Amino acid sequence: MKKNSFYLVFGCIALALLAIFWYSVELHEPLLIEIAFIVGIVLVYLAKIKVTDIINDERDMKITEQATMRTMQVFWVIFCAFSIGAVMEILHIPEFPRQASSIRPPVLLPPRMMGYIQLGLLCLMIFLYVGFRIYYAKKYGDFETDEE
Amino acid sequence: MHNLTQEHLAQAIGVNRQTILAIEKEKYIPSLDLAFKISRYFGVNIEEVFIFDEKTPTHDIFYPKALT
Repeated sequence: MKKNSFYLVFGCIALALLAIFWYSVELHEPLLIEIAFIVGIVLVYLAKIKVTDIINDERDMKITEQATMRTMQVFWVIFCAFSIGAVMEILHIPEFPRQASSIRPPVLLPPRMMGYIQLGLLCLMIFLYVGFRIYYAKKYGDFETDEE
Repeated sequence: MHNLTQEHLAQAIGVNRQTILAIEKEKYIPSLDLAFKISRYFGVNIEEVFIFDEKTPTHDIFYPKALT
C-alpha cells in the first residue's frame, strides 16, 4: 500500500468514528463508540504495517521514543496529582462526631464533570506529545534544509 | 567526489533522506550500525567518515551536562 492510500484509509476511519460517536451520543450508548474506537485503531495499525513507502529509520524511532518518554514523564505527575486529590476525597471519612461536624463534607464530582476532566487530561496528553514530537524533530534535524 | 545524492545514499542504506541531512548538519549522531553501513557503502574505514569526539554527549537532555 502506498503512503497516500494509507492516509485515505486513515481519513475514512476517522470519519466513520466521528459518525459512530455522534450516533452513540444520540442513542446514549457509550459502549458503541468504545468498541468502534478500539476496532478503528486496530484497523489503522493493520493498514500502517501494509505501507511500503514509509521508512521508519533509527532517527524517527529516536524522535518517537524521546517524545513518548517525555510525555509520560510530565503526564504521570499531572495525572497522579489529580488522582491523589480524588483518592483523598474517597478516603475522607471523619472518625469522631465532633470532627465530623467541623469538617466540610467530601466534594463528590458529578459523572459529567469527571468526563470533562478525563477529556481535558486526554487533550493535555495529546498536546504534550505533539509538542515534544515537534521539539525533538527539530532537535534531530527534521526541519533542516540543505543547499542541494 | 562520488557524484551521489542524499536520496541515493539514503535509499542504499535504508534510511530517510532527512536522516542523511541531519547527520551532515551534525544534528543527529548515527548508531554504530548506521555508521558502519555508511562507511561500507563508500568502501572506507569508519574513522574516515566519522570522528569520535569524547566531549560530545551521547545521551541527550535527560541527564545534566555535569553527569555526562
